[in-house]
Amino acid sequence: MLKDKLKKALAPLDLAQVADGDYAKTGYHLEVAARPEQMPAVAQAMLSQGCFLESLTAVDLRESFTLVYHFANFHELCRTVVHASLAKGAEAPTISQIYPGADWYEREVYDLFGIRFAGHPNLKRILLPEDADFHPLLKDFAAEAAND
Amino acid sequence: MIELGIEEKTYTLNLGPQHPSTHGVLRVLLEMEGEYITKAEPVIGYGHRGHEHMAENRNYHQFLPNMARVDYLHALAYNQGYCMAVEKLLGITVPERAEYLRVILSEFNRISSHLVWIGAYLLDLGAFTPILYCFDDRENLLDLLDRITGSRLTYCFYRFGGVPLDLDDEFIAGARAFIKRLRTRFKDYNNLVTKNVIFINRTKGVGLISQEQCLKYGLTGPMVRGSGIPYDIRKSEPYSAYPAFDFEIPIGDKGDIMDRYLVRLREMEQSLRIIEQALDKLPNGPIMAEKVPKRVKPAEGEVYQAVETARGEFGCYIVSQGDVKPYRIKLRVPSFGNLSILPELAVDTLVADLVAILGSVDVVIPEIDR
Repeated sequence: MLKDKLKKALAPLDLAQVADGDYAKTGYHLEVAARPEQMPAVAQAMLSQGCFLESLTAVDLRESFTLVYHFANFHELCRTVVHASLAKGAEAPTISQIYPGADWYEREVYDLFGIRFAGHPNLKRILLPEDADFHPLLKDFAAEAAND
Repeated sequence: MIELGIEEKTYTLNLGPQHPSTHGVLRVLLEMEGEYITKAEPVIGYGHRGHEHMAENRNYHQFLPNMARVDYLHALAYNQGYCMAVEKLLGITVPERAEYLRVILSEFNRISSHLVWIGAYLLDLGAFTPILYCFDDRENLLDLLDRITGSRLTYCFYRFGGVPLDLDDEFIAGARAFIKRLRTRFKDYNNLVTKNVIFINRTKGVGLISQEQCLKYGLTGPMVRGSGIPYDIRKSEPYSAYPAFDFEIPIGDKGDIMDRYLVRLREMEQSLRIIEQALDKLPNGPIMAEKVPKRVKPAEGEVYQAVETARGEFGCYIVSQGDVKPYRIKLRVPSFGNLSILPELAVDTLVADLVAILGSVDVVIPEIDR
């Protein structure tokens, strides 16, 4: 089973959490917690098991960010979510050299949250205008202020 | 450079943002060497409306109409994805009849989306006639969907817990008539398009995507199925009433544009099969779950729900912190991932081929921009 293989592949990485998810409730088969600097190794392990990067996003928890990576597989149903807590102002390493598809996702996270990805080849805004001076999905962002 | 007697070898060509072949406002910056592309950079975001930001400023019900504005061609699948995510968060079970209705309407919507794609794509390639056929068929569909949902394009029909209105006899009769009609039209499409020698020469062996590229770029939908990977959420991660129906997932073998075209064409036939079975087996019963809270206030937690749209996987990721407003909603849209492979596919092709490749991705720009 893919889930067991994934657990085995992730075991040597010394992650904070690798646990079964409650699929009926959350849609996850495997829930993983990692530190941002572990993400390239996690991504490499996921790729070696034939999983693709479904989505990459962030959540602003006011005191810190959480980076959320979703992985899925074309041949066997096993959705893996990886949560990585990131301190405000800190950088996360890019995984775009492992998954080229992450390039745009990381640009989107940078654009909307201002989170920088170290080692990204082309980290610039993607959805908002190049000269925008705000990151709209930050919780302290107010839309009215940006209109002035 | 010319003064120095040195010929300038490369130049920049700006495709879009207002170019008919970019299907909306997409801009592709091309670096050219003679007739060939050496580098292509899609510039997106012209249609960014901030749907994810809007989600944080309104309650769960108020965000529902936004879903149809994300992907206007397959709005009902987005309705379904969002409703299912919220239902999961609330622990609501949708009655069987409502699931059947959702399947019937979403599949009709999928067909109308593919019809637009075939028509508009052939227009990109310089064939004017097919769009007239496609839009003729689609018009029938829109009338049918309009009858039950009340709108022609930006549908907002599903509700948390089910659907608000039941089908009537006239809709069912119209649906059966349409199934019959479209089946006879496939012959025309094959004669007009599939067997057309110009079309074959433009699409065979062009825009090849390998299975490894599918994996690394996280492609979904007809893009991966054209390359021979049978990944369709309706089968891979069965949801709604889909397990009750007998249908196939069409796949290609080479991964060129022709394969992607054939996948979409054959998918319409499969959608007709699903609808037919759903109409035959339509169970009786309620169309709305009991005890759906008027005030949606889910407990703390997060949820991810994927559905198969005409373009691939739509994933709705909701984080709730126990408030009446979502704390965060991320819309994982298929075209965003699917388009990100364009720079790799475009290298060493002609501009005319790039137009063919771009069209074969089936991008809906507002969906990418959100």
